[in-house]
Amino acid sequence: MIIDKVHKTLRVIQENGGWLNSLLKLYRYDTLKSGRLVGTDDYGNRYYENKEYFMGRDRWVEYADKVRLDYDGSQIPAEWYGWMHHKTDIPPTLRPPPKYKWLAQHTENMTGTSRQYVPYDTVPPKIQPWIPGKK
Amino acid sequence: MAAPSLRLSRLALGRTSTLTSRPFSSKGEKGQIDALLEREHKDLIEVEANVPVHALTGVPEEHIKGRVVRIYKPTKNCMQSGTANTHHWSMSFDNRQRWTNTLMGWTSTGDPLSNMNTEFATKEQAVAFCEKNGWEYFIDEPAPRRLPKKNYGENFAWNKRTRVGQK
Amino acid sequence: MLRRGVSSSLRNALQVQKRSAASAPEKIEVFIDDQSVMVEPGTTVLQAAAMVGIEIPRFCYHERLSVAGNCRMCLVEVEKSPKPVAACAMPVMKGWRIKTNSPLTKKAREGVMEFLLTNHPLDCPICDQGGECDLQDQSMAFGSDRSRFTDVNYTGKRAVEDKDLGPLVKTVMTRCIQCTRCVRFASEIAGIPTLGSTGRGQEMQIGTYVEKMFLSELSGNVIDLCPVGALTSKPYTFTARPWETRKTESIDVLDAVGSNIVVSTRAGDVMRVIPKNNDDVNEEWISDKARFSYDGLKRQRLTTPMVRKNGELEACDWQEALMVVANKIATTPGDRMAALVGGLSDAETLTALKDLMNHLECETLCTEEKFPMDGAGTDLRSNYLLNSRLTGVEEADLVLIIGCNPRFESPVFNARIRKSWIANELDVAVIGPKVDLTYTYDHLGDSPKTIADLASGNHEFSQRLKTAKRPMIIVGSEALQREDGGAIYSAAHKLALSLQNTTEDWKVFNVLHRVAGQVAALDLGYRAGADEIAANKPALLYMLGADEAAVDRKDLQNCFIVYQGHHGDRGAEQADVILPGCAYTEKQATYVNTEGRTQQTFPAVTPPGLAREDWKIIRALSEFAGVGLPYDNIEELRGRMSEIAPNLVKYSVVEEANYFAQAGPLFGKLASALRSDEKLDTKLKGLEDFFMTDSISRASATMAKCVQAAMNEKKNRH
Repeated sequence: MIIDKVHKTLRVIQENGGWLNSLLKLYRYDTLKSGRLVGTDDYGNRYYENKEYFMGRDRWVEYADKVRLDYDGSQIPAEWYGWMHHKTDIPPTLRPPPKYKWLAQHTENMTGTSRQYVPYDTVPPKIQPWIPGKK
Repeated sequence: MAAPSLRLSRLALGRTSTLTSRPFSSKGEKGQIDALLEREHKDLIEVEANVPVHALTGVPEEHIKGRVVRIYKPTKNCMQSGTANTHHWSMSFDNRQRWTNTLMGWTSTGDPLSNMNTEFATKEQAVAFCEKNGWEYFIDEPAPRRLPKKNYGENFAWNKRTRVGQK
Repeated sequence: MLRRGVSSSLRNALQVQKRSAASAPEKIEVFIDDQSVMVEPGTTVLQAAAMVGIEIPRFCYHERLSVAGNCRMCLVEVEKSPKPVAACAMPVMKGWRIKTNSPLTKKAREGVMEFLLTNHPLDCPICDQGGECDLQDQSMAFGSDRSRFTDVNYTGKRAVEDKDLGPLVKTVMTRCIQCTRCVRFASEIAGIPTLGSTGRGQEMQIGTYVEKMFLSELSGNVIDLCPVGALTSKPYTFTARPWETRKTESIDVLDAVGSNIVVSTRAGDVMRVIPKNNDDVNEEWISDKARFSYDGLKRQRLTTPMVRKNGELEACDWQEALMVVANKIATTPGDRMAALVGGLSDAETLTALKDLMNHLECETLCTEEKFPMDGAGTDLRSNYLLNSRLTGVEEADLVLIIGCNPRFESPVFNARIRKSWIANELDVAVIGPKVDLTYTYDHLGDSPKTIADLASGNHEFSQRLKTAKRPMIIVGSEALQREDGGAIYSAAHKLALSLQNTTEDWKVFNVLHRVAGQVAALDLGYRAGADEIAANKPALLYMLGADEAAVDRKDLQNCFIVYQGHHGDRGAEQADVILPGCAYTEKQATYVNTEGRTQQTFPAVTPPGLAREDWKIIRALSEFAGVGLPYDNIEELRGRMSEIAPNLVKYSVVEEANYFAQAGPLFGKLASALRSDEKLDTKLKGLEDFFMTDSISRASATMAKCVQAAMNEKKNRH
């Protein structure tokens, strides 16, 4: 049994690209898994599947390397969202979503950053102050 | 103004009222309930004064101290002939800040009491309510009304200025 | 014994009844819906019903206008009468049984309502009257539940072209139901024959016949009177609904009458000002300035403290501004300081300012508005009040107006004079410029010498004055601001004393002020007029809302001027430090009107920006200056106020003042002689002068439009 586990661990490490890469992934995601690369989206996120894991852990994403530790669930674009959440079993690599010219680029949630949405007053000012020297 | 009495027994009476509301079959049971009621009444103290309740109401102290209530009779809307909604006494608190909520554009206020609309049949009731709740108050008496005399015939008076209207 | 006692008291009661019956006519009993009510003969059915709390629907009837009886909405059934009677016009007879809810009455109302609605547009959703419309409410309460109006030929309802009545009153004449309230208001109250009706039947229209502005200082009141949305307010158009607004009952301070008003606010914004009923002050009217200058409260406001640095006023915080003032106070001796208060100042602030300045050993506290300080001056309260009260004019039989134009100085009071002129055959005489007062008067010339002539009996009119039972002499405050103001004052006072009937409690002498804060300031012991400041040349001048340019910066060398007020006007321009205060809609404050009636305003909205309540600013300044005034809230301050002048805290009461006889001999020495060569004149002569008289109305765009319209109307050849 233990041998089996050790063997499996070694295989996972190997599939993740060696000891160093495995440690890096462990540092980023606090977990180390191995699975089949289902696809990659426009933003560099890699989507994996391994049915050996139980439902809910069997599909996962490795976020684009450029975001480092600042990854966030909202970085997953809409077309991958359904596959990730088991709404569908067909990944967008097999059935790409329809493309329209009016479709906007996916944006992640900006809350907490400098680009976050701040509500503003749309009511015109009620009081016009006096400005000295002006009539 | 006679101070209306407030019975502290209201809570207790509320409990016994469930007894009386239960359907009873015989006179004997009714008698029992009467006896129960009487015994409970005997234990209660009647207080002949306005008992302040603001210590118990849970109203924050900032809304009790320093708030002044104006007790008044709402004025008739001069845009209309009717006098509805002007026959009661009302209370209003000193006005506090309102601001436009930036999120929704609605009006916000930190003063819940400004939205409290209470109507009283008499000013004494309003005064008693204010005293009970520990608010300072003053009474704004409505201005006395003087009903003018009306005469249709004056429109046709030959020797009065009512006929002339203008110069 | 007992029996005798009862019978004698009964006899006494009967005697009393008999005696009173001789003076007052006997009351008669009528029954309204089987409720008995005793009324005086001549009472109308509608009034009798109101006494027992039953309201009869009406459109044309208004209690302050003459009875027209043309809308027929008030039809009620009277037992044994073959037809329903118009309740507004029909006086009750003894023993009448009136049925206000019988099938006949209901049918009559439904019929009238049906006729009205066939020609009334269904535009309530876009009508400004919606929510406070008599027609809307009464059609729900008394109308039929279905209409027989079918427009089979699709000809549409009656439509009428709108009229242009000027910048204040918007007309949608299709909505008009021809109640003629506006016509009667114009001819009876406002005294201008502008409005009338043309055509008849379906073609009847209310209008001005030729295109003409509704040239009246009271024109806004037709908006209130109109029971439908035919006449609505132009500045208020489509801005708010009555159910959205909060109503604050308050006092108008733009003239000295102290009209009671209701300020409607929404989201911290004044939406409109409408009158509040007060039979003793303004009845149901307010002037156009009081009603429409509220947009001036939103323009040219001082919202932040300012300090002059390198010749320019710069915004700063309260700490800095108060420090600058306190430092200046610390380095200036008390006798080199002065305070000047304007006409919109309230009694609380005046009290605080006076306490602060007196603590600093400064005694030069002046009001901008002048008043003769000769003789007893302002020491006796009866010297500067409208002593016979605003309502007194209804009991008077002769009014002598000296040097003022009540029509524009206090339009509501003028309406009352006109009312008495119509109803009580009041006679009016005027010494001053010949202006249109909306009623006829005897013009006695415009020389101040006429006053002396009248007193000595050398004038043909003196006989008429002597025979008057209840004469009233109204002296305008403007006449008293001339160089020979003291002489005019003493001449008028002498004339009044000669007419004073000592047995009757009737006061002849009256002063009509023009600004709201003057009486309170004089009550508190301020000196009237800024002459003392100009003479003393103070090093520190505290201006409290002083915007009438009574003191010019150039006249005072090296004077440090602190301005506290709410508008950037003439006062703020010359200030070194500006402390932003509150306008009358933003503070709870006491004002005393020209008859000495104490009234208070209530805050409807919060002060803008960093502006604070005026008395609190002075309280804070006193802390910085190391004085520390002994009051922290308005109750304590009013306690202090009552120590100085107890009448200032007796709200809605007129404190009696009667020292005419004592004041007379004190006029022995006069500063100036009567100058008969200089004619008595008033600043406000035409409607165009009326609209902009203070810092609030000067900032108002609506008032500017009114002035423009009134000027243009002068060119109208009709």
